[in-house]
Amino acid sequence: MNIALAGNPNTGKTSLFNILTGSYEYVGNWTGVTVEKKVGVLKNKVGRLIDLPGIYSLNPLSRDEGVATQFLLSEDFSLILNIVDAAQIERNLYLTIQLLEYGRPMVIGLNMIDVAKSRGFQIDAKNLSKRLLGSPIVPIVARTGKGCDQLAANFQAMKERKVEPLFIDYGPELEQAVGTLIERLNHVELPSKRWMALQFFEGNSLVRELLQKHIASSELTALFEQTEQQVISGKTGIKNLQQHIRSVRGDVIRAILSDCLTRTKEVEYTFSETVDQIVTNKYLGIPIFLLFMFLIFKFTFDWVGTPLSDLLDAFFSGPLTEWLTQALVAVGASDFIQAVLLNGIVAGVGGVLVFVPQIFMLFFLISFIEDSGYMARVAMVMDKLMEMIGLNGKAFIPMIIGFGCNVPGVMAARTIEQPKERLLTIILTPLMSCSARLSVYSLFVGAFFTQHQALIVLSLYLLGIVVALGLAKIFSSTLLKQSSSMFVVELPPYRFPQWRTLMRSTWEKGKGFIRKAGTFIFGGSVVIWFLSYAGPGGLNVDMNNSYLAMIGGLIAPLFAPLGFGTWQAGAALLTGFLAKEVVVSTMNIIYVAPDLATLQGTMANFYSPLSAYSFMVFLLLYVPCLATVAVIKKETASARWTWFSIGYALMIAYLIALMIYWGGKFLGFQ
Amino acid sequence: MVLSEMKQGSIVKILNTDRVSEIVRRRLIDLGMMEGATIRIKRILPFGGPFAVEICGQWIGIRRCEAKSIEVEWAS
Repeated sequence: MNIALAGNPNTGKTSLFNILTGSYEYVGNWTGVTVEKKVGVLKNKVGRLIDLPGIYSLNPLSRDEGVATQFLLSEDFSLILNIVDAAQIERNLYLTIQLLEYGRPMVIGLNMIDVAKSRGFQIDAKNLSKRLLGSPIVPIVARTGKGCDQLAANFQAMKERKVEPLFIDYGPELEQAVGTLIERLNHVELPSKRWMALQFFEGNSLVRELLQKHIASSELTALFEQTEQQVISGKTGIKNLQQHIRSVRGDVIRAILSDCLTRTKEVEYTFSETVDQIVTNKYLGIPIFLLFMFLIFKFTFDWVGTPLSDLLDAFFSGPLTEWLTQALVAVGASDFIQAVLLNGIVAGVGGVLVFVPQIFMLFFLISFIEDSGYMARVAMVMDKLMEMIGLNGKAFIPMIIGFGCNVPGVMAARTIEQPKERLLTIILTPLMSCSARLSVYSLFVGAFFTQHQALIVLSLYLLGIVVALGLAKIFSSTLLKQSSSMFVVELPPYRFPQWRTLMRSTWEKGKGFIRKAGTFIFGGSVVIWFLSYAGPGGLNVDMNNSYLAMIGGLIAPLFAPLGFGTWQAGAALLTGFLAKEVVVSTMNIIYVAPDLATLQGTMANFYSPLSAYSFMVFLLLYVPCLATVAVIKKETASARWTWFSIGYALMIAYLIALMIYWGGKFLGFQ
Repeated sequence: MVLSEMKQGSIVKILNTDRVSEIVRRRLIDLGMMEGATIRIKRILPFGGPFAVEICGQWIGIRRCEAKSIEVEWAS
């Protein structure tokens, strides 16, 4: 049995999904849409639960929201699990009514019943159930799991029940038109024809598309316009069909609630109000936000993340390598196998895995901010600035996250409704200088800019931001022209996040990183190592005669105008595509340096300070790393935009590095 | 009067949202912010920034340009 989980955004749908399923089964893609829908097996094994994106209405505003409607139209399921926020019951029932009109058995989870009670809402669930076709209604608290077992116990029995669609009288004019439309569909096999007719008159574009397969578009338009005329004439304050339908449903909901809902008190949100007065304050808003960001980076890179990463690094390069060597010697493995494992896989995969503590720390803190309710305020504080460059406040969050790692940054763009603003955010987030790039800067500034290390690094971070904002302005007024920008954000009350939820969402965000290390970074490391190990002269050749040197030498002339036309730089940049921090390890191998000081000394023979800076600028901008490219591909679901994000970055990197190198020369820098 | 002229803390009734763009108007209706609804202005962000309003116990942030297109009157 398939159960569709539907509800308004921000009503605890994902919490309920996690509690009812216990684990994610797989991520499913449905016909025509590329938005993720989660599918999980219910703990009590009676069926599968399908988590649909949060929607306010079945009449979709964006493509993303169309997923739920598309699901109803084309997928097979036997039961709807509707989650309703008890504290926002009037607004939530609007979706419930539409789902009941569709005519499938429904179970309703009345969520956040604790919050509703504390706000003085008393809901008579029994009576409400009667008014909603007898659908079982179970009060739950999805965040803690209270009532969820009881909710799940209803699924089996409800599935068997035959239900009639909910009937609401929309007035003689509309009812007549609905009748006409249903009659026209007499000969076609379609589920819930009345529901379809109503959705059509409400202006649902997906339903219209489907109807057009059976009825000529001109006929539909004529019927629509004629009905609209009839309905709105003689009514004051009603301007179109959509409004009429909405107001009829609104009346029905209010009538139901007058029977089932008692408000015992009016509550003021004093706590949230006080917090908001501080964090969105005229003068303090932006400084407080910057302080939060500073603290996040401190936690991630200084206080907790990096020390743990260093421990892991020491473990990989120390005990693990030793044990592996001993084990390999013990089983009599050949030199070649030993080299593959130790210099290839352990160095390559281990080099990426050491970042796990930092990445999880960052995700944990970001989850904390998301769950606390502060993220929506950040979007609001930053909106004005972002609007000027053709984005909206919500785009700021992915960019901030991108400073930690571009991969979660790109994923965070999901919260942006406008497809074009979302796409723009996705392709520009990789310009944020991530933590992996910092390791390369450290190497270079230590060798060439000992006097002004911090200033040089800061200039690179700023360059990334300036280029991203500038390109946002350019792209949004050319390639990705907006017809209508939009920014409407719900500001949830502040709350202290639950451990359970935090752990879960940290893991959900971070697990992909580990999976990647085990798959394509694993493979890539072996290849790179092999290229440096083998050459035309055979195996275990001198590095300068290896295939890696040949490949690096092939592209090196391209970089000559930028000031670093050596095969070593070419090879390092090539491997840097795998992950930017790999540049450091590649240079370690290439310059055969046992430690940092030696490496920096050797590099002085190959770079001047100016060409070193030009190299860093190129590295900052040139291409998103492989993991980021993969996630861009996944999030945009478009090979074209993925290639675009690589292509524009390469071009802009070349152009800016060229300008800096020759501009610097002209000004007399070395 | 339009929403953007009101001061922080005002309680107003929405009269007309016709001038708001279609996509934003529909989202506002989804959130219950439609003609006839009573709202309270919670916060106004500086430098032409967004408005935060309260409606039916929930808070919503909207842009000032949208607030300029929403006609309101004092709620009695």
